[in-house]
Amino acid sequence: MAKIGVDVGGTFTDLILETVLDGVPSVFVHKVPSTPSDQSQAVLKGIAEICGMAGVRPQDVTLVVHGTTVATNITLEHTGAEVGMLTTRGFRDILHIARHKRPHNFSMQFDVPWQSKPLVKRRNRIPISERILPPSGAVAVPLAEDEVAAAAELFKSRGIEAVIVGFLFSFLNDAHEKRAAEIVRAAMPDAYVCCSSEVVDVMREYERFSTTAMNAYVGPKTSFYLRNLERKLREAGFAAELRVMQSNGGVATVETCTEKAVTILMSGPAGGVIGGRWAGELSGEANIITIDIGGTSADISTIPGGEIKIMNPRDTYVGAYPVLAPMIDLATIGAGGGSIAYIDEGGAFRVGPRSAGADPGPVCYGKGGREPTVTDAQVVLGRLDADKLLGGDLKVDRALAAKAISETLAKPLKMSIEEAALGILRVINSNMALAIRANSVARGYDPRQFALMAFGGAGPLHGAALATEIAAREMIVPPAPGITAAIGLLVTDMRYEFTRSVLTLLNTANQSDLDRINTDIEKLEQLCRERLAADGVPQARQRFLRIAECRYQGQGFELRAAMPEEALSFRNRDLVIANFHESHRRDYGYAFEGSAVEVVTLRVVGSAPVEPLRWPSLKQAGGADIAQACLYRRPTVFDDGRTLDTPRYDRDRLLAGHVVPGPAIILQHNATTLIPPDYVARVDASSNIHVQRVRAA
Amino acid sequence: MAYREVDPITLQVIGGAFDTIAKEMGHVLYRMSFSSIIRESQDLGAGLFDANFNTLCESDSTPLHIGSIPGYLRGIQETLQGGEWHEGDVIIHNHPYYGASHSPDVAVVIPIYWEGELVGFSANTAHHVDIGSATPGLIIDIPDVFGEGMLFAGIKLFERGKRNDAIWQFIGHNSRMPKQLQDDLNAQIAAAELGARRFQELIRTYGKETILAAANQLMDYSERILRKRIAEIPDGEYRAEGFLDDDGRNRNQRLPIKVAVRVAGDSVEVDLTGSSPQVPTGFNVPFEGSTKVACFFAFRALLLDTATSNEYVPQNEGSFRPIKVIAPKGSIFNPEFPAAAEARFTQCNRVIDLIVKALAPVLPGRVTAGNSASLSFAAYSGLRPGGDYWVFLEVNEGAYGGRATSDGPDAIDNLMCNTRNNPIEDLGMHLPMVCDRYELRDDVMPGAGKYRGGIGVVKVQRLLTDGSITHENERHTDVPWGAFGGGEGAVGKVEVFNIADTATVRSLPAKFSGLATKAGDAMAFYAPCGGGYGDPLEREAEQVVDDVLDGFCTPEHALAAYGVVLTAAGALDRAATLKRRRELGSAAGHGSAAAAS
Repeated sequence: MAKIGVDVGGTFTDLILETVLDGVPSVFVHKVPSTPSDQSQAVLKGIAEICGMAGVRPQDVTLVVHGTTVATNITLEHTGAEVGMLTTRGFRDILHIARHKRPHNFSMQFDVPWQSKPLVKRRNRIPISERILPPSGAVAVPLAEDEVAAAAELFKSRGIEAVIVGFLFSFLNDAHEKRAAEIVRAAMPDAYVCCSSEVVDVMREYERFSTTAMNAYVGPKTSFYLRNLERKLREAGFAAELRVMQSNGGVATVETCTEKAVTILMSGPAGGVIGGRWAGELSGEANIITIDIGGTSADISTIPGGEIKIMNPRDTYVGAYPVLAPMIDLATIGAGGGSIAYIDEGGAFRVGPRSAGADPGPVCYGKGGREPTVTDAQVVLGRLDADKLLGGDLKVDRALAAKAISETLAKPLKMSIEEAALGILRVINSNMALAIRANSVARGYDPRQFALMAFGGAGPLHGAALATEIAAREMIVPPAPGITAAIGLLVTDMRYEFTRSVLTLLNTANQSDLDRINTDIEKLEQLCRERLAADGVPQARQRFLRIAECRYQGQGFELRAAMPEEALSFRNRDLVIANFHESHRRDYGYAFEGSAVEVVTLRVVGSAPVEPLRWPSLKQAGGADIAQACLYRRPTVFDDGRTLDTPRYDRDRLLAGHVVPGPAIILQHNATTLIPPDYVARVDASSNIHVQRVRAA
Repeated sequence: MAYREVDPITLQVIGGAFDTIAKEMGHVLYRMSFSSIIRESQDLGAGLFDANFNTLCESDSTPLHIGSIPGYLRGIQETLQGGEWHEGDVIIHNHPYYGASHSPDVAVVIPIYWEGELVGFSANTAHHVDIGSATPGLIIDIPDVFGEGMLFAGIKLFERGKRNDAIWQFIGHNSRMPKQLQDDLNAQIAAAELGARRFQELIRTYGKETILAAANQLMDYSERILRKRIAEIPDGEYRAEGFLDDDGRNRNQRLPIKVAVRVAGDSVEVDLTGSSPQVPTGFNVPFEGSTKVACFFAFRALLLDTATSNEYVPQNEGSFRPIKVIAPKGSIFNPEFPAAAEARFTQCNRVIDLIVKALAPVLPGRVTAGNSASLSFAAYSGLRPGGDYWVFLEVNEGAYGGRATSDGPDAIDNLMCNTRNNPIEDLGMHLPMVCDRYELRDDVMPGAGKYRGGIGVVKVQRLLTDGSITHENERHTDVPWGAFGGGEGAVGKVEVFNIADTATVRSLPAKFSGLATKAGDAMAFYAPCGGGYGDPLEREAEQVVDDVLDGFCTPEHALAAYGVVLTAAGALDRAATLKRRRELGSAAGHGSAAAAS
């Protein structure tokens, strides 16, 4: 019995394998270079290798959970399917007009991606005579079935692979969409066909059509990739179920992700957030802010009370295109080890968002980079040991880094090289701290009640300073900072969500309004139940969460309010109203207590918990001195400008209960933890390292 | 006051904090607010200001609001209730002769104190749906500023933390949408309070001296960058002119706009002398809050184009300093009391478009061909069955002219306007209105060019009950210009008809006030299309074929304007195209190189 998590990143594909050897739970981790042209090559290679390392036979693997960027890359590279669209006559250009807002306020030469790189070309958006009217969904013009059939023939003649149906007001009455899709499917049995009310059954035509178009754009290739991977695993002797991480942090079957490819567009960063929450649980810490710092970007998410937050549907974009698929509320900013530091023409000291990436990479890599980066600053300050990066696998040149910082920054600003290097870190840390505050303080969460979980290669180097800057209680470094996202794959629920727009004023709802809501929510729960059952989840393990997405009457943006588990009644509707006031107060600092509350969308989340990964506990240190873990000492520059002789400890030799006083650096294969003076690190039995400030500097 | 210089690293850190605060203030305001003009259209501005009314930071929302708040602050200083600021005050202000941009853009201002000393202001402006103007929502044909509705000058909504109940009760009885107005004011107060709190936190972290010194240096930075760009333009005077359809009452009396741009070293002057005298309707432009702001916008968009520059230049007072604006008193761009000046947007956009035209010869890579450069602002209203008013303001989009390396964007908000449309479905569920058509125009072609002009939109809104429509709009007669050999765009039009008899269509002027409508009446708005950029014969023939396939161009227009001949199957007829392009080229005096491409 073994479970494998495999997470594809831009440079590396990370793997984790959990098994039981001789009755003892064991965990193996592994990294292989990613294969961008076909991600499945590295995935299959990595799986074969990690099984070899663990001595696990293919047939003993029961589950493979996959975090994949395949759908995301289709959107970035604009290599999706040629999509055809049937839409209401008179409204051919909803996808072209979008919300008629420019991507730039102050620009004359701006690009409009949805016009210059449309998901559906105008020639393939065919208007169809039909009309559904609000507010009841009455049919004003019946569907012209002959026009639908003619459009399908046209699509066939153009070799179109995917077709969407997007009619106005289909959230009130989906009969026309369903019938049109039926006609298209009959005429084009091999095409990828979906209607807007199937993909996301909510009000607001542009966002619904855009989501549906995106689904069809990435759907054919994504499903080809997943099916192909599934087949190759079988051929290699694996009988395991293949599951995929979705943007909402839950996993789903290949079948579901094929139908709704739009749900895995943010699969990549979701694993890290889940992994961060899991690491917090190891230490009994529920209030976690995660920061995953890589080479070019940092992902940030706030997890209050162990609850993963989902982004407001009004904010879920993929590139410039709105996608109404639930996504973890995380912020990505252009700040990482490769972020470039420079002085602009007005004399401003800038760091990022431009990045040296993996090629040429930081100057110190000696691969031709000329502009100093954050990593160069770390090397110059002695925080990254030039001979020890990736456990010594990557040799870097400190002198090159120092020269670049000197010429680009220190000399023009009349600073020392150390001052300029510290400046780089101060600016990048400030950018990250502001992004963390925007994701926490600005949404009503106080970082003083949170621990900062820092991971990714560079996370634990910045974490202590960031925790102090945002006033978090402490920094926690998880056991394997470099593969936290892969761990996330093995610790999350199966999760499915369904929505329906209902538009009902809660305060004045009558019995029939409540009945309608109760019927709809039962239907949504039934859809979740069917999905979970089809995945083999027994009823006893199925969990359901009912959510009403509400706004004050007249507002345009909804917030989530929890609904009771039992049916909505005159007695408990005030609870939903109170929950909404509370959400509004937390997000905006104010509630309009006297105003009527309108439910816009009902959402049911069906989930099935999994057995969480068991990370082996650390041995107690007992009397063992930390000196036995000390590797060597080197001068290191800290934020106050002092250079201190600083010991390096081997993380693999630190044991539970060990206390490492700052200044110190803890090394492990692909991460470096910096403990500044006046901070202290405590090693937990769970393997987490807790870093706290002991006195003000 | 001289401050100690802040080091560049601290400066960058504080600059980031300022931007974040402005963003957060704008976010809270539009997410919380009720009227669609604020929440969807984001017709709002928010920011922090120092004690001398200099902008420290502003939200990146609707450009017309950006840069207008200092004018409000100066107006409040002149009119402040009781004459003094106090901790805990909340001020409401919208008087166009005391610095307001125009009366519906109501400002809420909170003075910020630190250790008992006034250190700055947290302020925002938002467009309110109805402030009790002569006609619901919007107004054009009124005799003077008092037809615009409630005018607030330096009034305290809260004084030393105590709510001024009298003014709230007064507001409650002087608007067609009193609850929405008051709720939106509360959203504005919440956003201003947030800004004040964040400013105090910033001072607590870095100290007052450092924060104010950094703010000054950030202004200098923005000024420095803009001056560098201005200095790259050859010194000289550049002129352009156009005209407006009419003033909304006196039909067929065109109003001239004259723009002279004088570049001298790293400074620039915009002189509007020679433009129309002020008009007897509300179609005038407040000088401080609108005319100047429009000119600031033009240079920021042209010279600090965020799509082509790598760095974000902070939004502050520094970017206004190199630009001087002149408009004679008593002119349409600087009216004298008591002229009304509510309907001012489209004139602002036309000034910007003419600045662009004037500078085109010296900035060919930064300009566009003629833009729609007007605004369609429609107010639909009626009574609910219970007797309450409903008022809905809709901003319709325009289109851009072609650019040096790309087509003009279609159906998108133009120049100083950058709002969001209202979802058709959301409207249909909540108002007695139905949208019958919303797509690109197909009755005219946009300006032909190597890069074509953008295509305007057509939108048909039908009222289900009796009601009223006011429409603020322009450009039924002055067509967007073509640049560098590109063709002219197309003018807009407005039609009204009833669903029961769609064959009887009435053409209306661009601007009209309080048009009484019957159930089933519909208004069709057709936006102007942008002008083309460069010789149409230089447009890739394959691209023209694609345009025909996509319906952006008719086969007839392809032949006439682009010299592109299609086969019966719709494919490119290369030989015939080459021949046709040679003929058109020699007829127009083009060289053979252009014809052959």
